[in-house]
Amino acid sequence: MTELTRESTASTPEIVADASRGLLAMAGDSYPENSYEFFGEIVRWVEEYLGQREDALRLELRLAYLNTSSVRAMLDIFDLLEEAHKQGREVVVEWLYDARNERVAELAGEFKEDCTFPFRILPEEPAE
Amino acid sequence: MHDIDLFGLRDHFQRQDILLAFNGPISRGLIEEIGNALKNYLKAEDTAPAAVSDVFGTYVEMTQNIRHYAARQGYTDTESAATVVVARDGEGHYVVVAGNLLETADGQALVERVEALGGMDAAALKAAFKTQLRAPREEGADSGAGLGLIDIARKSARPLSARLEEAPGGRSFFSLQAVIQQHPKTG
Repeated sequence: MTELTRESTASTPEIVADASRGLLAMAGDSYPENSYEFFGEIVRWVEEYLGQREDALRLELRLAYLNTSSVRAMLDIFDLLEEAHKQGREVVVEWLYDARNERVAELAGEFKEDCTFPFRILPEEPAE
Repeated sequence: MHDIDLFGLRDHFQRQDILLAFNGPISRGLIEEIGNALKNYLKAEDTAPAAVSDVFGTYVEMTQNIRHYAARQGYTDTESAATVVVARDGEGHYVVVAGNLLETADGQALVERVEALGGMDAAALKAAFKTQLRAPREEGADSGAGLGLIDIARKSARPLSARLEEAPGGRSFFSLQAVIQQHPKTG
């Protein structure tokens, strides 16, 4: 079980997956042309973490814009969390967003509708 | 002497309130560069953040749909050219239009799909989006299979409008228009 880190690019978010802290953090815009290529290793990391460990997993998301194929990929990740939650695993999603952009809260809210584990959508005041 | 009336073109852009126009082969990198320029422009205009997201998202889905279609068809760079315009209408809303050459039968199917979406209200579009999201997908295929189109329809303040025009070589030029409200309602 390794750490997974990816710098952000114009079309892909920054990724920090740290098994020792039980944390998967993603921040930025996500609209890669091939989302399976980009999200494949992240989905596999989540699968392995949930399969090989018994610790909790927290997703800390600061995703601002997702294209539809990234939405599909995130759904795959949330489905894995939902399955783990139903087996008694402690999983939580915290989705932080710029309080001025309600679109992000709406998108996160639609994901939340299909999840029964703790899913918090938290506005942040912009730093500037 | 110039063969191209650049001043006339500029005048046309200004009268139509066109913020951005692109015509030519579009790469992954260009989509990002033009997208960033578009976002910065809208932010500089004090556009509501939700409207910036909607215009940007519409632009991304439209141009990526064009790229994916061209890749599936095995089109050359020239054949996979896109024409993209972002303008403001008389009411200050943003109009996003993108078009590309495609096989006429595919164009007709697309027009029908857009018309079907046009008859759906927000709740029906949301349900269609969720259904499509859960629809089985092919391994490795990134076709979006209509998910992008539903997403654009959800962002548009008015029903999407699609046009199909005859082009040389038995193909057609398909164009799709979405209208984004400058001060969108929430929820």
